[in-house]
Amino acid sequence: MAKVKIAQYWGAGCGGCDVALLDIDEKILGVAEMADIAFWPIAVDTKLKDVEAMPDKSITVTLYNGAIRNSENEHVAKLLRQKSLIMVSFGSCACFGGIPGLANVTNRKDLTDYVYGKTFSSVNPDNVRPQSHYQAPEGELELPVLYDTVLTLDDVVDVDYYMPGCPPTTELINLFLDVVEKHVKEGAELPPKGTVIASQKTLCDECKRKKDVTTIDGVHLPHEIDIDPEKCMLEQGVICLGPATRAGCGAKCIDANQPCRGCMGPTASVMDQGGSMLSALASIFRTADNETQLSEDEILKLMTQIKDPLGTFYAFTMPVSIIKRKVQEKNAGVKQ
Amino acid sequence: MADKMGAVLVVGGGISGVQTALDLAESGFKVYLVENKPSIGGVMSQLDKTFPTNDCSMCILSPKLVEASRHPMITLMTLTDVLSVDGEAPNFKVKVVHNPRYVDFDKCVGCGICAEKCPVKVPNEYDVGLMIRKAIYIPFAQAVPLKYSIDATKCLKLNKDRCGLCEKNCPAGAIKYDDKPVEEELDVGAIILAPGFNVFDAKLKKEYGYGIYQNVLTSLEFERFLSATGPYGGHVVRPSDQQTPKKVAWIQCVGSRDEKTGNTYCSSVCCMYAMKQAIIAGEHTAGLKPTIFFMDVRAFGKEFEDYKVRAQNEYGIEMHRAARVANIIEDPETKNLILRYSDPSTNEVSEEEFDMVVLSVGLQPPVGATSLSKIFNIDLNSYGFAGTSTYSPLSSSRDGIFVTGAFAAPKDIPTSVAEASGAAAKAGAYIADKRGVLEESTVQEIDVEGQEPRIGVLVCDCGINIAGTIDVPAVVEYSKSLKNVEYAEEGKYACSADCQERIKDLIKEHNLNRFVVASCTPRTHEPLFQSTIKEAGLNPYLFEMANIRDQCSWIHMNEPERATKKAKDLVRMAVAKSRLLEPLYESKLPVTHSAVVIGGGISGMTAALDIASQGFKVDIIERTGALGGNAANIHHEEDGKKISTFAKELADKVNADKNITVHLNTEVQDVGGFVGNFKIQTSQGEIETGSVVVAVGAEEYKPTEYLYGQNSNVVTQLELEAKMESGNVPAKRIAMIQCVGSRNTDAPYCSRVCCANAIKNAISLKKADPSKDIYVFHKDIRTYGFREDLYKEAGSLGVKFIRVPEDKPPVVSQDGSALTLTAFDTILGDDVTLHPDMIVLSTGIRPHADNEELAKMLKVPLSKDKYFLEAHMKLRPVDFATNGVYLAGLAHWPKFSDESMAQASGAAARAITIISKPELKSEGVIAAVNDDMCDGCAICEPVCEYKAITIVVDPKDAEKKKAVVNEGLCKGCGCCVAACPSGAMEQRGFKNQQIIAAIDAALEECD
Amino acid sequence: MTTSEMATTSSETFEPKIIAFCCNWCSYAGADLAGVSRLQMPTNFLVIRAMCSARVDPEHVLRAFSKGADGVLVLGCHPADCHYIGGNYRTRRRIALLKMLLEQYGLDPDRLHLEWVSASEGTRFQATIKDFTEKMKELGPSPLRGADKDPNRESAGY
Repeated sequence: MAKVKIAQYWGAGCGGCDVALLDIDEKILGVAEMADIAFWPIAVDTKLKDVEAMPDKSITVTLYNGAIRNSENEHVAKLLRQKSLIMVSFGSCACFGGIPGLANVTNRKDLTDYVYGKTFSSVNPDNVRPQSHYQAPEGELELPVLYDTVLTLDDVVDVDYYMPGCPPTTELINLFLDVVEKHVKEGAELPPKGTVIASQKTLCDECKRKKDVTTIDGVHLPHEIDIDPEKCMLEQGVICLGPATRAGCGAKCIDANQPCRGCMGPTASVMDQGGSMLSALASIFRTADNETQLSEDEILKLMTQIKDPLGTFYAFTMPVSIIKRKVQEKNAGVKQ
Repeated sequence: MADKMGAVLVVGGGISGVQTALDLAESGFKVYLVENKPSIGGVMSQLDKTFPTNDCSMCILSPKLVEASRHPMITLMTLTDVLSVDGEAPNFKVKVVHNPRYVDFDKCVGCGICAEKCPVKVPNEYDVGLMIRKAIYIPFAQAVPLKYSIDATKCLKLNKDRCGLCEKNCPAGAIKYDDKPVEEELDVGAIILAPGFNVFDAKLKKEYGYGIYQNVLTSLEFERFLSATGPYGGHVVRPSDQQTPKKVAWIQCVGSRDEKTGNTYCSSVCCMYAMKQAIIAGEHTAGLKPTIFFMDVRAFGKEFEDYKVRAQNEYGIEMHRAARVANIIEDPETKNLILRYSDPSTNEVSEEEFDMVVLSVGLQPPVGATSLSKIFNIDLNSYGFAGTSTYSPLSSSRDGIFVTGAFAAPKDIPTSVAEASGAAAKAGAYIADKRGVLEESTVQEIDVEGQEPRIGVLVCDCGINIAGTIDVPAVVEYSKSLKNVEYAEEGKYACSADCQERIKDLIKEHNLNRFVVASCTPRTHEPLFQSTIKEAGLNPYLFEMANIRDQCSWIHMNEPERATKKAKDLVRMAVAKSRLLEPLYESKLPVTHSAVVIGGGISGMTAALDIASQGFKVDIIERTGALGGNAANIHHEEDGKKISTFAKELADKVNADKNITVHLNTEVQDVGGFVGNFKIQTSQGEIETGSVVVAVGAEEYKPTEYLYGQNSNVVTQLELEAKMESGNVPAKRIAMIQCVGSRNTDAPYCSRVCCANAIKNAISLKKADPSKDIYVFHKDIRTYGFREDLYKEAGSLGVKFIRVPEDKPPVVSQDGSALTLTAFDTILGDDVTLHPDMIVLSTGIRPHADNEELAKMLKVPLSKDKYFLEAHMKLRPVDFATNGVYLAGLAHWPKFSDESMAQASGAAARAITIISKPELKSEGVIAAVNDDMCDGCAICEPVCEYKAITIVVDPKDAEKKKAVVNEGLCKGCGCCVAACPSGAMEQRGFKNQQIIAAIDAALEECD
Repeated sequence: MTTSEMATTSSETFEPKIIAFCCNWCSYAGADLAGVSRLQMPTNFLVIRAMCSARVDPEHVLRAFSKGADGVLVLGCHPADCHYIGGNYRTRRRIALLKMLLEQYGLDPDRLHLEWVSASEGTRFQATIKDFTEKMKELGPSPLRGADKDPNRESAGY
């Protein structure tokens, strides 16, 4: 019986996804038994040229984590796609851009200008910037090109399955590996292409907290109040993205008495996790008895309790949001 | 429809007539709604905003007008007069005459080309003559029916046989110069008169110079000034020079409370509408300074006192109290107006100059009241209004003929609407055995599931309304190029009868499963086309409309190319949405054909009797041991009968009614279910019912002030009545203090009834013993309507009225048992001290403290003053937003017993519209939960205004929850859908993907 | 139109694309009244009817922008006039928050505008359309124009 070949790659991400794969405890032994590791830079010393030499579709499954931030990420993603039967968008960064995706509030130029020029520790009298090509005496050196816009894996390659999570939980990984193993060993059918390996419902479905009313008087940051561990976060005025976020994470943050920040992304029928949550939250602000008489300014003041809507509602999903990235008005001066 | 269906004649198409017609029609009766003007709508259609919510009048009225015109049970007869009434209830024979419209009703499509071409200009009655209409016209843009008519007194063709332009230009061939009056005889079981009122003719108050001074207007004219559709587009300007006025004065009681003009009564609404106009004018015009000259500020209705306070404090309206303006003089140079008035604070005559003056004209019986009284053989009262009595406030003097609205007395819109419903309850009782049911269509519906969309498109010319600007053939050709469009063609008038046949043929011929009409607005025409495709076997929700007339050709008349492109865009959007349309079904819900009335006072008993009179079972739940409520303790007389006696008679009637079951000493413990299917848990068991009337009343304020309880000579008005009942009032000098427990910080509202009740008692005491000295200490005397005569009578009997400042109530002290009262007399400008033998406190009305509990059980709201809060203060005065629950009496707001009874009848009528139906139908466009997605997060629950969403335990998993939409309660606004963060909630007919399809299509690049 | 063409378009010839969400009961009726009254206005807008302004999901607004709308109008009943009691209050809160979000996305928040237009305010509808169209002409093309055809959003620029 053929052994499963697995690849895992680390794009623009924190490395947590790689650790998560190691974190499946004794199951890792099963993986080793079931699978050969074809490519996994942090665990196995395989070079890209080794991958290039592999026949197409010879890797059974690639778990690609991290967003597409630069030309190397894209290149490897395309290479692995070519060599793999199954391409899994692994973790929130690959699926939605994740935390690195928030870089879409800026661009390459501003970012490098800041990092190489404006931080307190920047000492760069020649105002040097990283270049993609550099002719050193030893020969030409090459660095990947940093993209203006953070992309998701499926922006650049065809993806078969999505496994969101920051990082994906052991339970989800095991669930998926079982499916793949059954497929390889017993010929069991794989789930339909595009399946998200998680719950179809939202986090509220897994959340055990009690909920009586869902109107809120005001917004609090988690550290500002003593959060009652029994009661719904929203009810206490803590912005919890649970209602707009796919379940499957096991409600770990909630169990640690912290609100959900939305790493699992939206459900299948929601186009824009942030817009959806924004609407929900604005809807349940307690209606003042005199709302008729409130001015537009007063309403705005009420809403400015939510200080950073983009960072709050799109912490993990900005690159897959409807607008995707920050843009620049061409006639920005007109307003003044 | 069954021939034997009971019918009611409703005379008058104002808000009263329309409401009563709708309630009757919804209860299964045929209605002939007769209006002598070309359009229904009445005075309310002329108003800009309505107090105290500043609602846009036309916005809330117009849907009702359209509903009345479309209702299959209502036959709308405009330009129609009643000639005679023969027979007795319930077998009236009514002869009506349909006056000639000179326009074929069926052919006219309301395009308005005739009016454009007509050369004759006539001042428009709708705008009180401030704007021009033509001899062929509709009274106003939203007229119902939207059919033109020719003013025979002005038309050149009809008078001089010249012109004929309208006939030449009418693309529908609808002009009929030889139109003749047609008489018709109607068989009806009962009649409701709602002819409304006319405003006082301000020219009769010569001292104010109306009609001479350009800048003196009537309040009705000013209403048109404020309106966006009025002569100045809502801008407040002086007629003399079109400049923005700075100082505007309102003069109250013009033609009210005025013996000289013969109208001694108070018109009840002018104080409020003047404040409203002043507020709105101030909002429209920066720097405008409004001043109102009042006699008393009569803000007695629900939330009115709040409105007054806001008018004064927030909007800075200056209010001169107790000030009659003697006359106005115009400065001939500036056309400014100098008002001379007695200033109560200085007792001297003052003068002040204003840029503009609005006369708050009073309400009078309608022109033609006398002839109505003759035709219908009913009595008018001494003021010329329809004669009614306290104990039968909706009945005329003739059996089977009822009156509603301002025809019986001046009154505001919500009171008129509640009465209109009440009259429907009364009239329905005469024909309750002849209730009809509309027959369902029998056309077999085509199953379109799984079929690829096959879309038909009809692009309407609307004569030249569309085709004159838009290249219709190009739009047709473009439509054909769109994906899934099987067939497209041009139609001259999409709404014409032959076009309906054509649409049906096209659907069959081309096997279409979606249809798009590009013509006018779906607001008026969607139902027509929906019923057409339904007749062709398609589900009516497989229809979509593109509005290429009202929102394209008419507003882009000078840009034919761009308008044509836009019409294509609009068709592309409609086609894109139509691809994704799905058949929708109005689900049917069973109905328990009975009602529960909570509260056994006058209101509760009246409601119960009215419901029972139409053959339905009623349960009255009363928590005390007896029926009667507060009325049992009110011993003064109204119309020659003590209220307590009447309450007893009413209780006897209730006990004798076999349809009514009275549950005494019974409390409501829980309410489950929903409209048509409530389950009321009481301390005596469960009652299943179709609807609920809340008539729990209110209570008298128990005073703690003015030594009450410490000095036996300080009593309340009710205690005084008990003493008078036993003939035991030896006191010679009596002081009555008004507003005890009203209009203060605890209860900022006016309790409405205390002024008249105190005066009534004062009159009785004075009549029994003229030597008694009676003083009434008051802030305002609010004897509105005909009760003003009591005020006058008391004055002439020598009762002394002393006005005290609003913030400075009298002070009462005692020495032993001797009482001393000190108060600041605003007229004297000094303190007065009195040593009364007795002090009578006019205590206010307070809501029950436990209203909140009942409100929670019924899922209905309370107002900030803790009275029950109706669905809409103006047009749904006895409804709650929660369908199937209704409201009457003091539970709603303080009011007199006749008002409570009229309102109770109204609540009964509304309840009957539910329980008379064989089954209830939900709306088609409603919210629906996708059970696979919903996680019970409950975001949607508080968002729903109709309490249609509940979070329940998932039947498949006891640990989980999910949202359930009650189809009987959902109104289909879609607010919850936009709030739903999981994507589980959808709005049928406006699904996300359907809206997105329209958005994407709108922004698609074409050409 | 391509982006480079757009950049060269001067404000005189630039024709903004505007989506106007109208509630069925007030603002759509107000738009109809504008028609009945033959009030003329620019052709740059397309109306999408919703039963209530509260049906307008922020996602709809975002979608319109992502598809290249230069401006989005949400028109509803005046406060206290809502046919559905309080739908427009939710709309008002959502739009306030959404404008904050748009600003963070770099769009001029004036590209989204909430206005109350009653059924009797045909003139207000006209004025709203005129003013908003003018305002959008001043602002110029949305930076998101054409962005949906460019997944990398490089052209949207920042």
